[in-house]
Amino acid sequence: MDIKDLATLPRGEMTARPAQPRARGRMLVSAKLRAGRSRISDLHQSGSLKALFPHGSSTALQAVMLNTAGGVTGGDQFALTAEAQAGAHLVLTTQAAERIYRAQPGEVGQVRTMLRVAAGARVDWLPQETILFDHCALDRRLEAEVAPDARLLVVEPLIFGRGAMGEVVHSGHFLDRWRINFGGELIFADNLMLSGDLQATLDRAAVAQGARAMASLLLVAPDADRYLDRLRAALGPSGGASVIRPGVLFARAVAVDGFALRRHIIPAIQALSGADIPKTWTL
Amino acid sequence: MTSDPALLLHQWLSPSFPVGAFSYSHGLETAVAEGQITDAASAQAWIATALEHGAGLSDAILLAAAWRAEAGDPGALIDLARALAPSAERLVEADRMGAALARALTALHGHDLPDAPYPVVLGRAARLSDIPLPLTLRLSLQAFAANLVSACVRLVPLGQTEGQGITLALMPLIERLALQAEPGDTDLIGTSAVLLDIASMRHETLNTRLFQS
Repeated sequence: MDIKDLATLPRGEMTARPAQPRARGRMLVSAKLRAGRSRISDLHQSGSLKALFPHGSSTALQAVMLNTAGGVTGGDQFALTAEAQAGAHLVLTTQAAERIYRAQPGEVGQVRTMLRVAAGARVDWLPQETILFDHCALDRRLEAEVAPDARLLVVEPLIFGRGAMGEVVHSGHFLDRWRINFGGELIFADNLMLSGDLQATLDRAAVAQGARAMASLLLVAPDADRYLDRLRAALGPSGGASVIRPGVLFARAVAVDGFALRRHIIPAIQALSGADIPKTWTL
Repeated sequence: MTSDPALLLHQWLSPSFPVGAFSYSHGLETAVAEGQITDAASAQAWIATALEHGAGLSDAILLAAAWRAEAGDPGALIDLARALAPSAERLVEADRMGAALARALTALHGHDLPDAPYPVVLGRAARLSDIPLPLTLRLSLQAFAANLVSACVRLVPLGQTEGQGITLALMPLIERLALQAEPGDTDLIGTSAVLLDIASMRHETLNTRLFQS
C-alpha cells in the first residue's frame, strides 16, 4: 500500500502504524508559607511535565503547568502531586488547553493528579480546558486529601472536538474519576464517563442536548455554602449548583462551545476563589 | 413465611412499600417546569438517560456490589455510594429511601441492615433473603424507571396508559443494564447525565415543588 492509498483509507483502519514513543511526565510541587507568602518548598519534575512560577503581587504561589509533549495520546502517562503545606496557598493552572489526541486502538492515555491540602492551607486547581479530539482515549483521575480547616477549589472545563475545525467526536473514550477526602473521609466522588460515539451521547436529552462543552466545579471549604448564590448567578440557566453536604459545594454547567462556557466559568472562578483568575486564562 | 424471591421483591419494590419513592422525581420536576419534558417522547428520553447514563446503572452496580459483599464492614461501599450523589436532594433521596427500606425490612424480616443509601440496603437485604441477584437487578431497575414514569404522569401530565407504554418500551434497556451491572464492579461506574444532575441542583430553587427531589 502506498501513501496515496493510505490517504484514502478510513482513518479508523490505520492500525498498522508502528508503535510511537509515549510521553511520560511526573511532577511534585509543594508550597510552604514563609514570611506571609507561599513559596516553593519542594519541586521535582521529569519528562514532559514542567511548571513555571510567574512572579506576581499575590501572596499565593502560582504554578503554571506545561505539557512539553503538546498533548496527550494513547499510552501517555502523566502524574502530578501538588501540595500546600500548613497555611500555604497554591494555585495551579495550565499554560494552554490540554489536547487529547487520537489514540491508537487499545491504548489509553493516563493522567493522575493528587492534591494535598494541609491544615489552614488552600489549593486552587484551575487547568484550562481539556479538548477531546475524535478517537481520543483518556483515563484521568483526580484525588484530593483535604485537612478539616483547609480549602480546595477544583474547576475542570471540557470541550468535545475542535469546534473551529468543525470536528465532531464520533468515537472516543473519556473517564474522569474524582475522589475527594476530607479529614480522611470520602466526601465527594464523581465518575464522569463518555464512551463510544461521544457526540451521540452529548446529543441526548438529560446529557447535554447537543452542547459541546461542559464543566464540573467543586469547592470544599468550611464556608462553602456562602458561595452558593454567587455561583448560581455566574453559571446562569445552563448550570446548577448545590451544597451537597456541609462544606461541599458542587456545580456543573453545559454550553454550546468552549467560548460560551468561558463566559460562565470565568465569573464562576472569580466568585469561588475570591481572587482574579490566573493570567494564562485571559491571554 | 414465604421465601419466594419474586413475591418478596414484588412487595419490596411496590409503590406502596413505605420508602416514599413517590415523593422523589430525581430532578425531573425541574425538567418539566423548564419545558424540557413536554410529552411522552421527551419523558422517555430523559428516563432512558437516567437509566443508562445516570443513577439507574450506577445504583445497580452499587446494589450488585452490596449483594456480593461478604459479611463485614460495608463502610467503604456506603461512603462511595453517598459520595457519588451529585446534589443535596439526590443524597437525601438515596439516604431517606435507604433508611426507610432498612427500617421496614428489619421489622419484617429481622435482617441486620446498614444505615446506607437505598441501593446498598436493597442489595444486602436481597442477599440476606436469598433473592437471586439478576432478578433483583432487573426488578429494581424497572421500579426506578416506573417511579420516574409515575412522576412524569403526574407532572407533564401524561395519560396512565401512555406512561405504562414508556415503562414497556424501556424493558429491553433494563434487561441489558441489569446484565451489565451484575459483576458489581464499582470501578466501572460512569455517568454522563449532566443535565439531569443540573436539573436536580436547580430543583432546590424551583418556585413550586410537589416532589422532594
